[in-house]
Amino acid sequence: MKHWGRILLVGFLALFAAACQQKANNSIEIDGSTTVGPLAKSFAAHFRKSYGIEVTVSESGSGNGAKSLINKSCDIASMSRSMKPQELEAAKAKGINPVASIVALDGLAMVVHPSNPVQNLTKSQIADIYTGKVTRWNQVGGPDAPIVVIQRESNSGTQETFKELVLGKDARIIKGAETQASNGSVKSRVSLTPGAIGFLGLGFVDASVKKVAVDGVEPSAETVSSNRYPLSRPLYLVTDGEPEGDVKKFIELPKTEEGKRMISELGFINKY
Amino acid sequence: MNLGTRKLLDRSFTALGIGSIVIMAMTLLIVLVPIVTNGLGALVFKGTIEHRKMLAAEFNRGDRAELERQTALADSSRKPVYAMMAAFEQELTGMDEPRRQQYQQQYAQVRSAIQTLLGPIPGDPLPALTRSQYGQTRWEKAEERLHEVLYEKKWDYSNPDAPAKEYSVSRAAGFEGTSLVKLFPYVEKNIDRMLMPEWTLYWGFITDSSVDAHIFGGIWPEIQGTLFLAIGAMLFAFPLGVVAAIYFTEYAREGFFTSVLRSANSTLAGVPSIVFGLFGLAFFINTLKVSESKSVLAGSLTLAIMILPTIIRAAEEAILSVPKTYKEASLSLGSTKWNTIVTVILPAALPGIITGGVISLGRAAGETAPIIFTAAVSVGSAIGLADVFSSPTPALSWNIYNLASEHEAASEIRHVQYGMVLSLVTIVLLLNLSAIVLRARISQKLKG
Repeated sequence: MKHWGRILLVGFLALFAAACQQKANNSIEIDGSTTVGPLAKSFAAHFRKSYGIEVTVSESGSGNGAKSLINKSCDIASMSRSMKPQELEAAKAKGINPVASIVALDGLAMVVHPSNPVQNLTKSQIADIYTGKVTRWNQVGGPDAPIVVIQRESNSGTQETFKELVLGKDARIIKGAETQASNGSVKSRVSLTPGAIGFLGLGFVDASVKKVAVDGVEPSAETVSSNRYPLSRPLYLVTDGEPEGDVKKFIELPKTEEGKRMISELGFINKY
Repeated sequence: MNLGTRKLLDRSFTALGIGSIVIMAMTLLIVLVPIVTNGLGALVFKGTIEHRKMLAAEFNRGDRAELERQTALADSSRKPVYAMMAAFEQELTGMDEPRRQQYQQQYAQVRSAIQTLLGPIPGDPLPALTRSQYGQTRWEKAEERLHEVLYEKKWDYSNPDAPAKEYSVSRAAGFEGTSLVKLFPYVEKNIDRMLMPEWTLYWGFITDSSVDAHIFGGIWPEIQGTLFLAIGAMLFAFPLGVVAAIYFTEYAREGFFTSVLRSANSTLAGVPSIVFGLFGLAFFINTLKVSESKSVLAGSLTLAIMILPTIIRAAEEAILSVPKTYKEASLSLGSTKWNTIVTVILPAALPGIITGGVISLGRAAGETAPIIFTAAVSVGSAIGLADVFSSPTPALSWNIYNLASEHEAASEIRHVQYGMVLSLVTIVLLLNLSAIVLRARISQKLKG
């Protein structure tokens, strides 16, 4: 028994020693959008390497990011939409002054299964699909198969942006639409379902899904930055008040040479 | 019932019992075998020279001289590839406009495929992201990428009324009549020499931090976070739980109040864990403000509340199962009630109490929902013990989910995900085993 106790003690001490090696540093906490996630994570790794400052990233959705900022439980909220009036009000009530700065531009890519022959959809066709007026692919120039509509959860900034850009304020997405909780899971669902349609941040699109042109414009770095692609949007990092110190350095990464290269290597589009 | 029927019934019951055990064992095998084999794949795999370069640059590990020798060797076999590409780029500028356009796009695809396979092409600026600074670090991934260099996946959209079919075409055929056509057989034949695969034991998978969002490196921050959270939960829940159990069994008078408490406890045991997670966010972080943001402390407290009912229940049962005669003997010798509880009842009940505790510890280590809002982040480095009051941490359970669904390169790093699953299963298994051992030892001591 004694013997075991000693082994346990040594184990704990070792863990303690290992834990104490890392020094406590004032860290930056980021919470919010899954779309901004890859950018935030890469910036965080870069920041740790160059300045030795810890940055933690949570990807829980733009809505949660805004809530965390309002509750003062994060330093930066990453958001794929701008703050809503209610959120601004809530922030004001708590004495928070949200200041948004654009981290990158993104296109909302409409994606289908690669076997789907549809090349182009108009904005109104997409709206019809999502409001349930069109339910089969042959109504928009595809094979005779039902359309599986995939949307994001209500917490998602991507979902809000999609509604705003495509459907308009009052339209309702059909009840049968399937909800996925992140860009990654929309991608994997669409890549596995021949009749599916979904929307993704451009940075997440790879060969497992097929981008569809919207109103005849293919989503690409060029069409998004020239604002020709109809579903373009900025991605934000929001802070409480004007950013200062390390947070300011982090927010201004997209303006640096390194930051610009990271953004374009991840498939997002530079704003600056 | 005559003897024959009885025997028959007896036998069929035995058969049913054995059958269900066999089915259980098979299910366990079906679940565990892929976890173990794929999980070990994160530790033991055929690593390419790119993996060794990455280790040297990011973790300062490995034999420098040997690495330089190997890099020189690999570079000498890669040289012809880059030479052929440069020659073709020259050839492109000399072509007439329509032909150039036809080849340019195809060539861009080949170039990027070569880049993912072998790493940045000499002459290009070094990419900013660590993930694109190296070629394929694992041989099985390299083989997949090689296929992408050699063949192009295409979809046949000729019939607009039917779903398209997938087919692949050899890229070499597309470059027929140009100098680039020689590149493809060369790459296919010399891929071993260009990447130098070797069986590698990457123990750093357990002890390293991740590099560039889990693309390279290990999972130590996650393992450490899981241990911190589970042990922290135990520190709060175990003493509280045992004290509550003593109160329930020894002090509480049976009545309305006690029965309400008891049923509240049972109800709490059945509450879904996400409810505890939201409660933890609302109560510990937003109301009590135990920490500014998510933190290990808030996560541990939430997990503690979640496992408390189980610990109370187990401790209660253990105390109740101590024979009444022990207590009576102790009291009759003139011992006080408190003294009896501490010196007679608790030691006798200890094996049962500890078993309950350790099983709860395993549950705390494996739960995801309670820590989503209170403690877990998808990227962060290992935190020091002094930071548990203020810093959030990555944890195995949450990061497995994150890698499975949210990560932008989820399909590229399945091995990391399996490695995390294996680590989590191992941690929980070790905890449960230690419970069994501890219990056996204490029981032996009590008997002896």
